[in-house]
Amino acid sequence: MSPQPPAPAREPAWSLSRSAIGLWVAQGVLGTVLYGLAVLAYVLFVPGDSGWFLGALRWALPVFVVVYGVLFIGVAPRLRYRVHRWEVTADAVYTLTGWLDRTWTLVPVSRIQTVDVTRGVVQQLFGLASVAVLTASSQGTVRIPHLEAEVARRVAEDLARRAELVRDEAT
Amino acid sequence: MTGPAGRRTSAWVLLLHTITFKQARGWVPVVLAVAAGRGLGDGPTTVVALVVGITVLSLVWAALSWWRFSYADGETSVVVTRGLLSRTVRTVPIDRVRGVEVEAPALHRLFGLVRVRIDAAAGSVAAKDEELVVDGVPRAEGDRLRARLLTRRVPAGPLPDGTEAVPEPEEELARFDPRWLRYAPLVGGYLAVPLAAVGALFRVADEVPDRWKPDLGQPDLPGTSVVALFLLAAVVVLVVGSVVGCAVVNWGFRLVRRGGSLLAVRGLVTRRHTELELDRIRGWTVTAGLGMRLAGAARASALVTGLGDAARRGQLLPLGPRDTAWSLAARLVDDPGPVRAHPPAARRRAVVRACAPGVLVLVAGAVLTPLAGWWVLLVVGGALTVLGVPLGLARYAALGHVAGERSFAVRAGWLVQEHTVLQRRAVVGWQVQQSLVQRRSGLATVRACVGAGRGGYPVVDMAAAEAAGFARAASGAWADTLVDG
Repeated sequence: MSPQPPAPAREPAWSLSRSAIGLWVAQGVLGTVLYGLAVLAYVLFVPGDSGWFLGALRWALPVFVVVYGVLFIGVAPRLRYRVHRWEVTADAVYTLTGWLDRTWTLVPVSRIQTVDVTRGVVQQLFGLASVAVLTASSQGTVRIPHLEAEVARRVAEDLARRAELVRDEAT
Repeated sequence: MTGPAGRRTSAWVLLLHTITFKQARGWVPVVLAVAAGRGLGDGPTTVVALVVGITVLSLVWAALSWWRFSYADGETSVVVTRGLLSRTVRTVPIDRVRGVEVEAPALHRLFGLVRVRIDAAAGSVAAKDEELVVDGVPRAEGDRLRARLLTRRVPAGPLPDGTEAVPEPEEELARFDPRWLRYAPLVGGYLAVPLAAVGALFRVADEVPDRWKPDLGQPDLPGTSVVALFLLAAVVVLVVGSVVGCAVVNWGFRLVRRGGSLLAVRGLVTRRHTELELDRIRGWTVTAGLGMRLAGAARASALVTGLGDAARRGQLLPLGPRDTAWSLAARLVDDPGPVRAHPPAARRRAVVRACAPGVLVLVAGAVLTPLAGWWVLLVVGGALTVLGVPLGLARYAALGHVAGERSFAVRAGWLVQEHTVLQRRAVVGWQVQQSLVQRRSGLATVRACVGAGRGGYPVVDMAAAEAAGFARAASGAWADTLVDG
């Protein structure tokens, strides 16, 4: 195989909180359990002799649940953690998100309009919070998921204060 | 601070709203339901009673809302007060007003009235809530309001030394040439006009009682000529309809630069004045569909920060020759020059993507032909796959980007080609996206996030190695963060 071509942009310096892996695993477990219950109900309540298609589904669905579980509990959380990175530099906020497809987002501090900190229910269990940096563009939003709540608060405060100082036109 | 005195709209608007049942429209279903429930007879008396009742209701409603509505433009803000029972007072600082549109629908013109729409966009608020509408003021008052709200530095009324403010010089940038109507049948939007009209006609025809319908009988013509005649008639209706539709909307279009703003006027039945501030223009898009490109036509619109309903209000040239559209747009924001093509990997990707649906059908056909004898799928899939190649090549040929000294350009689209030019200062962020496939072929999609127009303008499938350099060249030194910290 030919060597991977260089990435279009460098990696931001910092990684998320390690608890993010736990959170993603928890989400994966939750999803797997829900799908598992639905499939269990299907296997129990749909008779096996009702046509080849429905019969085949009795085998295909449990396989799907197992694959989903392995992927979203075993693989995706660690891969996501490796990919997700963020950084706040002297004049910009910079993130890299995704797990198969990757998205680098860069917003200069001078164009920041608002900074939001969100703590979801599951996030609170893990002591995490997400930061969203909004600009005048509906598509120019930087989201840093799953930082330690205290870090998120400090980052948001710092960005809001600096945006106030250097704001030029912000549009 | 005491608020400025409230002003009312013209009382004539009562008549207007009664005629058009503006407020009472919502009541019609209720009245009908009540009528149905009570089992009213269907004699002429009932109809008359209903009409009179609705008219009176409408008049009362219009009167109440007219009486409870007032607006005032103070030193620093516009205040609109309304509401029948609960009062709503909306205050919009004048420096947040981003556009003022004065429109004169046909009925309003009879009474010399206009409707003023004040666009006070506030970021992410729903478009409907951003607009203040003052419906039914005399033409002169509408113009005064517009001038007052948009030219902040010019005080309202006479200057302190008693002389009237000198009107700023006007410069005409574009004027609609009736000959351009010939492009109308090539534009999808105008073609939809006759289609909608025909649809409405059929619905009406369905309602007409059978005994009123003329007995056409069976035509004696053989089937093919009927079909040919029908097709011919359809084409004529489409062409004429689209030209008429285009004329109604764009008649007398003029784009004028007055002081710091652009003023657009247009419309045959409803006259519309739209004003844009030059300061807020961040770029432009020249759009040309497939048919328009063949005929050398295009349209141009401005990308303005925080403009509600930007697609309609930002129009610089609704339809015209390509050269006119280009030279007009280039006067607002520099054209950074011809775009650069994307790498060969982008061509491969475009062709593969365009062929993919055909291949999918082909595979389905290959499976189902021996099983169920569906050879049609095989043929359709083959045709789609073959057609995918020129389609992919055409899509690839449309791709392009270039960064100039003060602006940059992005071009994409085959069915509808959009060439967008944005100022460097327009960029509020960059987004670089790379899918698994793109990573393997060294491509990336770089999206310029701007607070105008659609919000984001992607450069699809550019060379990944050039992504950061382009971002740097098209915005500023801060984009260097993409390559070094």
